[in-house]
Amino acid sequence: MTNESKPKLAARREFLAKLARTATCAGAVVGAAAALGVMQNVAAKSESKSTGGSFPTKDYDWTKHQWAFGVDATKCIGCLRCVEACKTENNVPRNAHQFRTWVERYVYLEGEDKPRIDSQQDPVNIEASGSEKEYRFANRYKDAKVEKAFFVPKLCNHCNHPTCNQVCPVGACYKTEDGVVLIDHDYCIGCRYCVQACPYGARFFNEEHGVTEKCTWCYHRITKGLQPACVEACPVGARVFGDRRDKQSPISLFIRNNRVQVLKPETGNGPNVFYVGIDKEVV
Amino acid sequence: MEPLINAVPYTGWVYPNETIFEWSVLIAVYPYLTGLVAGAFTVSSLYQVFGFQRLKPVAHLALLTSLCFMFFVPLPLLLHLGHPERAFNSTLTPHWTSAMAAFGYIASFYVGLLMLEAWFAYRPFIVENAQNKKGLLGAFYRVLTLGSYDVSEKALRIDQKWILWLAIIGIPAAHGLHGYVGFMYGSLKSREWWSSDLMPVIFLFSAIISGVSLLAVIFVVSSKLRKIPIDLACLKGLAYTIWGFIMVALVLEGLEFANIVYKGREGVEMIMEYVTGPLLVPYFILQFAVGAILPFLWLSYMIWRGTTGRALIIGVTTCAVLVLFSVFMMRWNVVIGGQEISKTGKGLMFYQLPILGKEGVLMSAALIIAPFLVLVVLTRLFPPWEHEATTSSSLHAS
Amino acid sequence: MPKHIVRLISLIVVLVVVAAIAKSYLTVDSFYRFGHYRADSVPEIAAQIPVYQTARYCLDCHTPRVAQWSASSHKSVTCEVCHGAAKGHPQNGKLPIPKDAVKLCTLCHEAMPGRPATQPQIQVAQHNPYTSSGQQCTACHNPHSPKIVAAPTKVAGNASAGRQRAAACASCHGAEGISPNDTWPSLAGQNAAYLARILSAYKSGDQKDVAMTPLAQALSNADIQNLAAYYAGLSCKAAPSGTTVGDAAAGRVLSRNCAGCHGETGVGNNPAWPNIAGQKPGYLVNVLKAFRAGLRKDPMMAGVARGLSDKDIANLAAFYVGQSCQSTK
Repeated sequence: MTNESKPKLAARREFLAKLARTATCAGAVVGAAAALGVMQNVAAKSESKSTGGSFPTKDYDWTKHQWAFGVDATKCIGCLRCVEACKTENNVPRNAHQFRTWVERYVYLEGEDKPRIDSQQDPVNIEASGSEKEYRFANRYKDAKVEKAFFVPKLCNHCNHPTCNQVCPVGACYKTEDGVVLIDHDYCIGCRYCVQACPYGARFFNEEHGVTEKCTWCYHRITKGLQPACVEACPVGARVFGDRRDKQSPISLFIRNNRVQVLKPETGNGPNVFYVGIDKEVV
Repeated sequence: MEPLINAVPYTGWVYPNETIFEWSVLIAVYPYLTGLVAGAFTVSSLYQVFGFQRLKPVAHLALLTSLCFMFFVPLPLLLHLGHPERAFNSTLTPHWTSAMAAFGYIASFYVGLLMLEAWFAYRPFIVENAQNKKGLLGAFYRVLTLGSYDVSEKALRIDQKWILWLAIIGIPAAHGLHGYVGFMYGSLKSREWWSSDLMPVIFLFSAIISGVSLLAVIFVVSSKLRKIPIDLACLKGLAYTIWGFIMVALVLEGLEFANIVYKGREGVEMIMEYVTGPLLVPYFILQFAVGAILPFLWLSYMIWRGTTGRALIIGVTTCAVLVLFSVFMMRWNVVIGGQEISKTGKGLMFYQLPILGKEGVLMSAALIIAPFLVLVVLTRLFPPWEHEATTSSSLHAS
Repeated sequence: MPKHIVRLISLIVVLVVVAAIAKSYLTVDSFYRFGHYRADSVPEIAAQIPVYQTARYCLDCHTPRVAQWSASSHKSVTCEVCHGAAKGHPQNGKLPIPKDAVKLCTLCHEAMPGRPATQPQIQVAQHNPYTSSGQQCTACHNPHSPKIVAAPTKVAGNASAGRQRAAACASCHGAEGISPNDTWPSLAGQNAAYLARILSAYKSGDQKDVAMTPLAQALSNADIQNLAAYYAGLSCKAAPSGTTVGDAAAGRVLSRNCAGCHGETGVGNNPAWPNIAGQKPGYLVNVLKAFRAGLRKDPMMAGVARGLSDKDIANLAAFYVGQSCQSTK
């Protein structure tokens, strides 16, 4: 190379280098833009196949209802027909450790200020019913001096700010427009984070299906004008269900005519199951 | 055939659904592995970013260790999921309110970053082997060169810049990778034992001490296996790092526990009963006394007395092993311990660790041991030992 | 820029683009439509088929039973609680009739601390001495109308006025209230409250009998009271009756189920229910069969008689005819 052409060569090289750099950047930008464009295109093509009208079914419009649940613990007799009905209706595993709804018994014996609490997983109650597939409270306090006792039915509270929704990593847990918290069993990956997050212990993991489950307020029934199975089965009217938009529905009347409270209000979850007749030891 | 339900025994009052343990030992192994990853990377960054020269002999070893353990990090999760084939749902539609959704992205980003940093660090070595080695191995290195054999000074200077920036970015990435696990526990309202603002930081600092200890052990063991004298300055550097971070970890864990006791919220009686009962040995004795305070005192003594030679090697290695054990106990006490305390605050359950099965002792042991085996293979392909290390590091901060 | 950096960056860009495209392509349709969930999941859940059908479903085929039940104190206990879910019924056959009534009924009615006082509860071991021997609740309580109505026990009738009126009854029931044959029942010494109740039932049509109905309709309420007072005051002679077909010993075993209301020997302790000791066997057989067939209406007796075979009925009649009608109290 001659001395005179060196600067020219260097200048040319520099120019080419600059060009290459610009080309690469431009290529990157174009590539990203293309990707975005493709994404939008694909998104537009994958519009939901759902009907344009009433959702989720043509006979039921979820924008017209706001469901809520009430529990009158002064009426509950602890017969556990609700537990039985729920297990049958929703095909819940028949054992004493996985429940969508359950009933707790609180008994204060004379001289004790802390209640004795038991529920369906207690071995004494399992023995009384004969197996884990049937549910019954053992009459274990019939010879004891009982000062106060009552039963408290429990179920998912379908909170306004559900912690379970918050922690689901994939969006398999969600709250519908009509106020029901549901689980998408085809999308859940089974990580059980929601089971940990629920302050009320309302959720459980179904090993057979590999997904978590919980009370759905029998969504498949309430969207057809029926009551949840547990409400239907309760022989004493301890469980109340209805539409808060309807001022004359059982739940609206229940809330209006009673001093209602909710469980663990300090969590800020905003539960939608309203209790009457529980006492301070109920968590 | 009914699926196996392992209902656990309990005392007091617990919710019926709680009698089945949801998060098993695998979920204690997972943060343990990510902790080792974050800790090992911290050592590498201490050299690359903060210029701790005496850690140079372990810088590349740290990188490789971090990478090896990172490969195994998703495994305990996949084994635990009810539908592992749907695991990508969290990447396709990540629910950003959930800390767990961050995993797919942070983990992918971090593994990419690690591979990139290792690639840059080993480029001259790769280029050299691409030209010298034959057959499949040679082809492997040739692919890794991306077709470029440029190891000129200019190229290497650029490489070094990349390494520096990757190491800088890698610090928050690695710490995010492990910190989010702590946040997952600390942000839950449902369990008093987990709910704490300090949880991510506690996890992080205990992760760092576990990773540095791991490196210390690997360094000593590999030097012994290679029959070369152990670089005492490096070992001392690692010891200092462990010592410093143990202090912070101890303070944080102590603060967290003190807060629970002092605030005395509803449910604290059950926590106290638990901690002074079933958890007394795993928590106070194994995690704290034997696993943290003892190594801290021993290291303090060695630093104070300027211990060197064989005594230093034995001392640091033993302390490192104790710390590794203590950090595993910490994960265990948080994950399992938290679930053993009922959400009612009125009852306790007792986790039964199976031996066989995909969530048992053998599987957990396999998951922790396997990365070491992969590390052996990787050190053959990309030897981290200093005399074969890249020339780029000799360019750095000479 | 060095070659390897360019290639590296290009590789990274390509990977990111591919990942982005894959993400949007693989994301299921309907996600994000209403929020961070798969919108199609909602109709899928809503489409599940209910298992429990509610009592309205039972009404079409089991109309009288449902009518009886919905007027009873058990109207808040839906059919499916005791009989099981009605999905697939009647295609898949009958729904079970609970066999172990004690096990089922005590789920709600066993006295247990915690149950509100408004809930009818029993101490199982003390409820009716014969419960502990395994007697089923359904022996006395019809599950579809379980309340045992206590009839008014006070009969304010004039026995002598009744005697005059009784002249018309003597042709079938005997001049002294002892029936001349096997078919028509003796009335002498029968509980006045029961007599008043059953005559009123014939009169009002609650109970139907070809012979008794027109006769009772001709009576006034005062007549009924008087007649009841009159017959109750008569002495039932402890006279042996005609031959009977049946095994009295077997009948005695069966009678333990009846003792709760009718007493161990057929003399009960509740005046609302008839004494049957020493009663005409032919009459007892006919009336049990009538209860069993639903021709004679009584919610309790219907449940009791359902389980009796013809042989059982004959044995019972044989047993009771031999009992002394004098009160053993």
